[in-house]
Amino acid sequence: MAAPAHVDVGGILRPQGRPDLSTALQPYRGALDERAAAHLLRRAGFGGSPDDVRRYRGMQPSAAAAMLLALPSPNSIAPPQALPNVAQRQAFTSRRERFRARRQVTEATQLWWLNRMLSTPAPLQEKMTLYFHGHFTSRATPAFPWITYNQNALFRQYALGNLRELTRSVSKDAAMLIYLNGAQNVAAHPNENYARELMELFTLGVDNYSETDVRESARAWTGWQVERRNDTVSFDAALHDAGVKTFLGRTGNFSGDDIVDIIFAQPQCARFFAASLLNWFVYNDPEPELIEQVAASLRRSNFELAPVVETILRSNVFYSERAYRALVKSPVEFVVGAYKTLGLPAVDESALPALRLMGQNLFYPPSVAGWPGGSNWLTSGTMIARQNFLTRLLDSQTLSASSWLHSLPLATNGAASTLAQTILQGDFAPASFAELKGYLNGTGSAALASLSPENFDQRVSGAVYLTMATPAYQLN
Amino acid sequence: MRRQNFLLAAAAGLAVIAQPDHVFARALAQAPLPGLPGSERRCLVLVNLYGGNDGLNCVVPHGDAGYYQLRPGLAIAQSDVLAIDARVGLNPGMRSLKALYDKGMVAIVQGAGYPNPDHSHFRSTEIWQTAAPDRYEHTGWLGRYFDAAGLPTENLFKGVALSRVLPEALVSDRTDIPAIPGLGQYALMANRNQTARSAFWRQAHDASLPFESPYLAHVMEIEGDAQRSSEELPKLVAGYTTKAAYPATGIGRSLALAAQIVGSNLGTKVIYVEHGSFDTHVNQKTTQNSLLTQFSNAIGAFYDDLAAHGNDGRVLTLTFSEFGRRIEENGSRGTDHGEASPLFLIGGAVKGGLYGTPPNLASTNMGNVRYTVDFRNVYATVLERWLGRSSASVLNGEFATIPLLG
Repeated sequence: MAAPAHVDVGGILRPQGRPDLSTALQPYRGALDERAAAHLLRRAGFGGSPDDVRRYRGMQPSAAAAMLLALPSPNSIAPPQALPNVAQRQAFTSRRERFRARRQVTEATQLWWLNRMLSTPAPLQEKMTLYFHGHFTSRATPAFPWITYNQNALFRQYALGNLRELTRSVSKDAAMLIYLNGAQNVAAHPNENYARELMELFTLGVDNYSETDVRESARAWTGWQVERRNDTVSFDAALHDAGVKTFLGRTGNFSGDDIVDIIFAQPQCARFFAASLLNWFVYNDPEPELIEQVAASLRRSNFELAPVVETILRSNVFYSERAYRALVKSPVEFVVGAYKTLGLPAVDESALPALRLMGQNLFYPPSVAGWPGGSNWLTSGTMIARQNFLTRLLDSQTLSASSWLHSLPLATNGAASTLAQTILQGDFAPASFAELKGYLNGTGSAALASLSPENFDQRVSGAVYLTMATPAYQLN
Repeated sequence: MRRQNFLLAAAAGLAVIAQPDHVFARALAQAPLPGLPGSERRCLVLVNLYGGNDGLNCVVPHGDAGYYQLRPGLAIAQSDVLAIDARVGLNPGMRSLKALYDKGMVAIVQGAGYPNPDHSHFRSTEIWQTAAPDRYEHTGWLGRYFDAAGLPTENLFKGVALSRVLPEALVSDRTDIPAIPGLGQYALMANRNQTARSAFWRQAHDASLPFESPYLAHVMEIEGDAQRSSEELPKLVAGYTTKAAYPATGIGRSLALAAQIVGSNLGTKVIYVEHGSFDTHVNQKTTQNSLLTQFSNAIGAFYDDLAAHGNDGRVLTLTFSEFGRRIEENGSRGTDHGEASPLFLIGGAVKGGLYGTPPNLASTNMGNVRYTVDFRNVYATVLERWLGRSSASVLNGEFATIPLLG
């Protein structure tokens, strides 16, 4: 069987037709219109508020990409306030106290991150953090939730950094060492879990290594230990297998870092990340030729992400009709995007159970392969959860909380057009638009009272629900 | 009519008037080969014991000294094993399952696996769910069954996954299968604009949009199904009374709902349930024993409930797990990813007993249990003898059936 550049996952669909491969990665020429600006903000972030879209409209693609690529230093970002420090944790005496603190930590970290996605001036930093969370997956350890934030911060630190260095670092990250059993991998009893997933899911893909390579890599990774009392990771030479290993055709006394270097020297590694980045930013199941072009770009940059992501975000293929709404909104994109588009100030905790039902509980990916995405997001059950989230959100907010809904025109046509344009950039079917207008002025099939100052708030929030319930809004 | 079919049909007819003793009850359940009446009332409950269930501590080879040598810290003591015979027995947590076994309602297929075993959760799960060990297949084996069976599209509950995310086994090209995490979570919240919303949903299916997307058609289909099925499901199952005490566990709640769906006669052919995680790299004994106890207790209640409604002969339960685990225990009182493991078929139509051979711990595949039964033979049996469909096109090849049923 030919080695696929990316594991073929069910429910992942490529757009119809063919891209122009000779110009696909060349810079797109022309100023961004409203649709293109909103598209860029959805892909490089979590959607734009009306103000964001206005700011990017009219910009050149290169200037827009440069603006998104300017990231603040990770050191300037304050961790979630609810995180107890080591001393505070050791002060918990009762089981009950510890249990409650652990639960609070995970949920507080989830909420903190969702609010960063919503409010950060640099959404691409959080989008890449989310990308790495789904790529280098680790599930939170319920008994030891404090380390989850450390891994999250590591991903943020490398948001547009070097992929090889990140791979080395995440291999020695406490959450990863626990999740994939690296901390139990010792010379006397090798545990192959991490060694296998490192190649299969993180860097190469199946069929690009042998079972022997897995066993030899596991030997090289022996000795990394997690001290749970203070979250530190250390290397214990006494537990390390210092013997000679043969890995992917090379022989030597390899350490884990050497294993990463050998993996990144495989031509397949750049292809693997190229396919994954195209799936994330452009469209699913990208053509092998396109993967090859991005892979070449990754090799040229020595696996530095910033220039490669910049190339993608200003390219012809990124702004092509084939890429437009060619992805399914993930639940996180759906939830944060709804707050963002409506100009609401903060994600509240009701979003957490809603996200679980939609199938994306942050820090709890369904398997080590992460969230499969595409049409896998959409079942009758998850669709119901999306609708119910909107109902609850709109019922719990007044229009004055939104940066723009309170100033919608009282006239039906004006209100409907503004909603259709601001929320969906006009991606509305004519019949749905007619029904939306009918709903707003009370003349639709539901036969309500006509739009008036008395029913304005209620009617507008109903109309927002209908707009966000359309098929187009489920697409990114 | 072929002679065999005639005989089975005659036996079925007899069973209706005769007392429903064991043999005839089985014959009745066995009867519906393709085209015979009764097959439309049958349901397959597929239980994914995800994470890689360690077969050796599930169906324990307590008569094999090698087992105790290779697992000094993990082996289950002979006195604790629920012995089936001198060679194998069940994990001590599985008393309810053992009781069903003793009634002849459980078939244990030992050594189930596939050629060139893959040790990755992801790939091996995909292999079991797509029934394609040698290629990548984007549809699941049951998804292909649904596409081929051509069941009425207006029935939204032909198949039901009791999970948040649709499992790959049920991914198909043409059939939407709802994933239902639970009844309470499967309803659109009432809001004040119910009528407007319904009207709008009809309009929202207008596909004349100013863009194309590979996912648009799918989104529209799912939105329509979500709207209709969430309105219908609670009404459809409201008349059912649960007649067993299910344990308050995830698998208990799932199987209680499964019994309710079966008992409500929605025309459901397949129900998918999941239970885990069995990925016991560390401290295996506590985790696995507890998960197997939960599974066994839930199955016990499930068949009590089904029997109380006369449905036990209509439901075949099949378990699977992406792989068994390494024979030798690791340094963390756990086991690493392995290969073959046993699977269970449970139900009134099952011909109870042990199938295949116990694992040979002396002749292994690099420390793993070698597979002796291709799982596709089990799938073929279920497709042909239970669901009444030819299996060759679904499984992309001819696989002999095993006389596990009837």
